[in-house]
Amino acid sequence: MSAAVAPGVAAQGRVVLSGPTLRAEGLAKSFGPVPALTRVDLVARPGRVTGFIGPNGAGKSTTLRILTGLARADQGAATIDGMPYGALSSPSRVLGVVGDLAGAHPGMTARGHLQTQAALIGVPGARVEQVLEETGLSSVSRRRVRGFSTGMRQRLALATALLGQPSGLILDEPTNGLDPSGIVWLRRLLRAFADAGGTVLVSSHVLTELQQVIDDLVLVEGGRTRWSGSLSDFTGEHASLEEAYLSMVEEEMACDS
Amino acid sequence: MRQLKDAIRGEVVRLTRTRLPLWTLAAAVACGGLLTGLVALTGPENATPPMPGLDTVAGVSGVVGLLGVALFVPALIGTVAITGEYRHRTVATTFLAVPNRGRVLVAKLIAYGGLGLAYGLVLAFSAVAGIYAGTFAYGIEPGLGLGAMLGTTARYGAAAAIYMLLGVGIGAVARHQLLAIGITLGYFYFVDNLMMILPGANIVYPFLPGGATSALTGSTAILEMIAAETGVNGPVVQAPLVGALVLLGYALASSALAAAVSLRRDVA
Repeated sequence: MSAAVAPGVAAQGRVVLSGPTLRAEGLAKSFGPVPALTRVDLVARPGRVTGFIGPNGAGKSTTLRILTGLARADQGAATIDGMPYGALSSPSRVLGVVGDLAGAHPGMTARGHLQTQAALIGVPGARVEQVLEETGLSSVSRRRVRGFSTGMRQRLALATALLGQPSGLILDEPTNGLDPSGIVWLRRLLRAFADAGGTVLVSSHVLTELQQVIDDLVLVEGGRTRWSGSLSDFTGEHASLEEAYLSMVEEEMACDS
Repeated sequence: MRQLKDAIRGEVVRLTRTRLPLWTLAAAVACGGLLTGLVALTGPENATPPMPGLDTVAGVSGVVGLLGVALFVPALIGTVAITGEYRHRTVATTFLAVPNRGRVLVAKLIAYGGLGLAYGLVLAFSAVAGIYAGTFAYGIEPGLGLGAMLGTTARYGAAAAIYMLLGVGIGAVARHQLLAIGITLGYFYFVDNLMMILPGANIVYPFLPGGATSALTGSTAILEMIAAETGVNGPVVQAPLVGALVLLGYALASSALAAAVSLRRDVA
């Protein structure tokens, strides 16, 4: 993997990105009788890395799926610069999405998967070589995905997201399976991406890692936005994001009892 | 239009980056050339019950008629187009690249339609080669000339290509691979045969997939056998072109149903 500070951005030769504003307003969604979201509001702005946190089952993945058009909200709106994801003329050039690890056919090589995705979104094949290089997959590009480790699959998902040279990124648990150097590389990539004007929305359970890269924070709990604002406002007098989060959870438990 | 072209190109690239086309063409040779060649080499006269020899029109037609079993293969391959995306959980990546799900389906129909045509061509030509191999081995002239034989096998090839599209449509409706395979085999092996013999039902049989297939391929042996056994007139067989259009109609109807209902569901 490249040790460059922001390989994704640097290789694109961009100095300035014009990131989209990602917005969810009043999202509600039920799966049968089970409510997954009751009211989720969030905004992720250009030039900022927005962390999206919450306990398991809080509704993070459902919210991200609605934002990217993979699921429909029962109520509310999810937009990318004011438009639903599906209404964007070239969505992959606006927003790169890192979601499910198993996004590539196991019988395909990494290169074959990226060539397929490049053709689907209408970018030249040369871009495949660039993202392979950026994500450190060049040496294994001819191996079939079924033989990939979790970390390699995660890198492939990132490579897929970067194919369209998007100005926004949505990442759902992107550090899963990455080794320490991969985590550092990703952190630098996201930071540089946002510093160049890109928009980053990242969900993670690893609060210590998240703290090092995010500017803003959205906390969901029980399908509802519990807190939204800057990281510094959330942590306040606490030493870390993790401490502030745990303090909030303990307060809640005390109130409940 | 550009987006549709990209989607089609993407689906063609996807196909060529897997071994599916290779296996598909290998299956066409197996179901075409190997099957007819094997029967021709063992001699239809040696079958139980004995069939007419390959030096007769009936003998060649009988062997060509065996290609009917080759039609399920493209149908099953076609189901993989969409069900494979759900099975391997690649569907989210595809829908992120092409959010218009109807466009994804159209692109797959076109890409797999091309693969179906290739299957049909290989099936038709290899079947003729198999028969010629058998007749050459016995030192006899086939009962049908090359042109007529190719014309007959080409009808099976055309049916195979449409069956591939039908499979894509069924797979898109079902979304689950085993369910799609179950529907395909269950219908053609059980329901379709039942409709052939059910009193009254055989009126609509010409417009069911099995009847349309008989019309397109000109294979009426089973219908004639049922009529002879029961003494009841069998279903009327339509013209080949009508049969092709009816089959295409089923492929398009199932695809339209998928685009309107099943593909609109949330992706987990």
